[in-house]
Amino acid sequence: MGKLIVHDHRVTKENLKELVALCPFNALEDHGGKLEINAGCKLCKICVKKGPQGVMEFVEEERATVDKSQWKGICVYVDHVDGEIHPVTMELLGKARELADQVNFPVHALFIGSQVTDSAAELLHYGADKVYCYDDPALKDFRIEPYAAAFEDYIRKVQPSSILVGATTVGRSLAPRMAARFRTGLTADCTVLEIKENTDLVQIRPAFGGNIMAQIKTPHTRPQLATVRYKVMNALPRKAEASGEVIVCTVPQEKMVSRIKVLEVRPKEKETSISDAETIIAVGRGVKGEKDMAMVEELADLLGAQIAGTRPLVESGWLDTRRQIGLSGRTVKPKLIITLGISGSVQFAAGMKSSDYIFAVNCDEKASIFDIAHYGIVGDLYEVLPELIRRIKMEKEA
Amino acid sequence: MYKKIDAQDVQFLKELLGEERVFVGEAISEDYSHDELGGISRLPEVMVEVLTTEEVSQIMKHAYQEGIPVVARGSGTGLVGASVPIQGGIMLNLTKMNRIKELDENNLTLTVEPGVILMEIAKYVEERDFFYPPDPGEKTATIAGNINTNAGGMRAVKYGVTRDYVRGLEVVLPNGEILKVGGKVVKNSSGYSIKDLICGSEGTLGIVTEATLKLLPLPKTVISLLVPFPNLDMAIGTVPKIIKSKAAPVAIEFMQREVILAAEEFLDKKFPDNSSDAYLLLSFDGNTKEEVEKSYEKVAQLCLEEGALDVFISDTDERKQSIWSARGAFLEAVKASTTEMDECDVCVPRDKVAQFITYTHDLEKAFDVRIRSFGHAGDGNLHVYVLRDGLDEEAWKEKLSAVFACMYRRARELDGVVSGEHGIGFAKKPYMFEQYDEAYITLLKNIKLAFDPKNILNPGKVCQ
Amino acid sequence: MNILVCIKQVPGSNKVDVDAKTGVLKRDGVESKMNPYDLFALETAFRIRENRGGKVTVLTMGPPQAEAVIREAFMMGADDGALISDRKFGGADVLATSYTISQAIRKLGSFDLILCGKQTTDGDTAQVGPEVAEYLDIPHVANVLRIVELKEDALILDMDMPHTVEMVEVLYPCLLTVEKDIFMPRLPSYRRKLETSAWPVKTLTFADFEDQDVMKYGLNGSPTQVERIFPPAVNAQREMLRGEAEELAAEVSTKLVHLKLI
Repeated sequence: MGKLIVHDHRVTKENLKELVALCPFNALEDHGGKLEINAGCKLCKICVKKGPQGVMEFVEEERATVDKSQWKGICVYVDHVDGEIHPVTMELLGKARELADQVNFPVHALFIGSQVTDSAAELLHYGADKVYCYDDPALKDFRIEPYAAAFEDYIRKVQPSSILVGATTVGRSLAPRMAARFRTGLTADCTVLEIKENTDLVQIRPAFGGNIMAQIKTPHTRPQLATVRYKVMNALPRKAEASGEVIVCTVPQEKMVSRIKVLEVRPKEKETSISDAETIIAVGRGVKGEKDMAMVEELADLLGAQIAGTRPLVESGWLDTRRQIGLSGRTVKPKLIITLGISGSVQFAAGMKSSDYIFAVNCDEKASIFDIAHYGIVGDLYEVLPELIRRIKMEKEA
Repeated sequence: MYKKIDAQDVQFLKELLGEERVFVGEAISEDYSHDELGGISRLPEVMVEVLTTEEVSQIMKHAYQEGIPVVARGSGTGLVGASVPIQGGIMLNLTKMNRIKELDENNLTLTVEPGVILMEIAKYVEERDFFYPPDPGEKTATIAGNINTNAGGMRAVKYGVTRDYVRGLEVVLPNGEILKVGGKVVKNSSGYSIKDLICGSEGTLGIVTEATLKLLPLPKTVISLLVPFPNLDMAIGTVPKIIKSKAAPVAIEFMQREVILAAEEFLDKKFPDNSSDAYLLLSFDGNTKEEVEKSYEKVAQLCLEEGALDVFISDTDERKQSIWSARGAFLEAVKASTTEMDECDVCVPRDKVAQFITYTHDLEKAFDVRIRSFGHAGDGNLHVYVLRDGLDEEAWKEKLSAVFACMYRRARELDGVVSGEHGIGFAKKPYMFEQYDEAYITLLKNIKLAFDPKNILNPGKVCQ
Repeated sequence: MNILVCIKQVPGSNKVDVDAKTGVLKRDGVESKMNPYDLFALETAFRIRENRGGKVTVLTMGPPQAEAVIREAFMMGADDGALISDRKFGGADVLATSYTISQAIRKLGSFDLILCGKQTTDGDTAQVGPEVAEYLDIPHVANVLRIVELKEDALILDMDMPHTVEMVEVLYPCLLTVEKDIFMPRLPSYRRKLETSAWPVKTLTFADFEDQDVMKYGLNGSPTQVERIFPPAVNAQREMLRGEAEELAAEVSTKLVHLKLI
């Protein structure tokens, strides 16, 4: 959509130096007094906006834009294994409904698999107006080519404006394939999604390991693809009444061929290491006896958490050394860590303080763990823990 | 002979510090009875958290007057029992005096309270493009603990040890007087250097309540080399040649395969290479990648000439992390691989390292006991661990003292010293007494007496 | 076996700042390095070569300085390497980048296996691998956890799925993106540095490509536009909860639900 031009007659010794220093990507070079742009240029235009007046110019070039009115609806790709729907799907349907209502679009769900038509109706309780169902024995297990073929077929036939895909391993494998096939934009791991009147999505996502947020749009092409992680958007409560319809679609068998053969699908081995665990229950000397670990295990089971601990607990033999958190033990960075009866030595804190959410239970209000905890719970763990287990059971049953 | 703490003493402390910072009897955590490895434990009669120099001074005045023993304690990460109150009495917990008081950019100094931990100092100065070179393995040790053991660490090869970076100290003497020694001055030849005596005195001469540290500009680039050798002799034999080459590495560590495997097991993480029997780990610093590359190339070449199998380059955070996290876990990993262990921290001249390590291998066979070692090949400071494994109490004690006696004797024969960086404390006294003649020990005792005539400050340690 | 590994030069540190006034990334003299995830792809390539023989070629796209990561790959054991570098590719987003890389791969020859890291540390999109595979019209397997078996005409792999592990057999040619920790990456070797320092690195430019449609490259070929960048909101909240055990537990579980932690 444009290119950067250097107006050589305006280049002076001084502003040349200034420009070279200004470019964040080292893309401007001084070639014996002549200013040259190298392949590092990201066309960020900072040299146009902030550089010496009139030296650099960005010349817009007209670019064809698709007729957006021909692309309608917001689609959610249904993430599932053997028809069992991944909850990120419901969350995306909630978001899709919200976006669709603003521009008067229908919400579609795209369900690709084998013997999935029966489960498809369930999606009509969560905000989908239409469920497009590609149900074929060849789609039993995830293989990229047949799945992509079905996906492509849906896009060609229905022409959705936007497609939301769960940022699961499947979604992140399939969505780029579609983006490339339709030469359109895909924004990964969006944390915020909004929609403009002209049906352009406003997509916000983290980059540089979360150190920076970027707002991205796909202004000229359709469909617009976005992936979103699990537990970012909110699902709508299940409606008692299903509304909408399930549309069964088929793709010719010659498109179902694959160079991939699925030999085995097995459940994931239970994560046993604390290093990559998403949830950790960490225990310290507040736990008085080895038998009390049963209670801790109960909580860990409820939360699907790994149990870890401080060195004294490891030394007492209640925990394996591989479960010791600390500067000289393992460093962990889970989404959630609940510490029980840990005072928070420097050694321990250094091993876990970059966790996303730290909940700390300790009876000593002055315990240093409270300096780093997001939620400090002042209380006796022998009283709090049984209550917490009871509560979480209630939540899970609800 | 020392006065037992009574209700009046407790009352005095509570009035001075308030109820909340005075702990008596059961309120004192068992943690305060021991350090990391000293093999000795006893709880103090009273433990107090102090916040100011003035409080320390008041407490010392009281203790001096009443004849109560006092021990100062930081993070308790020592390895020789120096902070264990073997006579009971008062323990001064200095960890709450943990403010960084001043960064003087004109004089390149940092003034800190005693309880600031090493990793906080490193973080604070490095964020501001400064560098505090001493780098002992235990990052959660307090700075005053480092000063009191004259801690060394890996970078000693190029940068020296803690004492070389202490410019000035504020010290409370056993009688409660507050003394300032040294300062921000770069040179000082004004009489005996009390500051240098305090460094490494293990809390027996005075209590450090403030320290002024020397800083350097932060080198922008650090690159490590991991050099595999077919055997340890070849690895360690190369070290004196590296030093002679004038390439000025920051650190030269050696490690053996079995310790690497123990760390892999402990951390559940692979080391970048574990196929060779022995490794040297070197690091180089400088301001640009090119500069550092230039300085390591000579050494890399030399290592290859000396029979190194290759020279691996570690130049990014991830690569350094994969190496140094293992290096940092060696102690814990070795500890986790056995039931109990004790450590010998001798320092020998750099050209004698190979001889000493070979000797420990002979001992391993002769005594049928597992011995593991790794350490600072570049400065001759060796950490040798004797592991108990399945031995019963009696056999363990016997074997341990026999092996230790052999090692320290050998260290003496090689013109080494008893301790490189962990100190004498309580645990290593017998070995120091063996090393030095009477005149030397008498001198030490007289120095102690000059500072502490009533012998109330950390009694029974170092030379007593 | 002819293996190609796609690698990328990324900033040495992820600690980036946005200039509050200009809204532009601050440069601040950060050094560059090879994308850490690519190290796993490279190591995978070397292990496969050790087993089946063949050649490992690396390919990167970037400014002329990006040659450094190719040299680094040589030091780790790569046999050949090429750099895609041209001003015409400036401003490329994921799609344009993927297309450019696919054109370069076609130019370089035919490969049995193409390996990519799972994602990069600067973009974090994890899209380039699958998009390149699409443009080369070959199958891909993303998130490979383990190589189970190397056969004459196919690979058997464990692929990470949301709740399961799928063991698949995929015929060559194909593209894989490998998970972190599939193998411990080796360190660059000084011996190899000496051996490879004079090796040439090919540079591929727009002129080398079969598809000469400028609208498919660089900014022109990029369907997405970054409208603005800004620093993230920080979670600096600290809260102390006090009270009876029952209330505390209720409050904690409510928070856990609210934060989507259960």
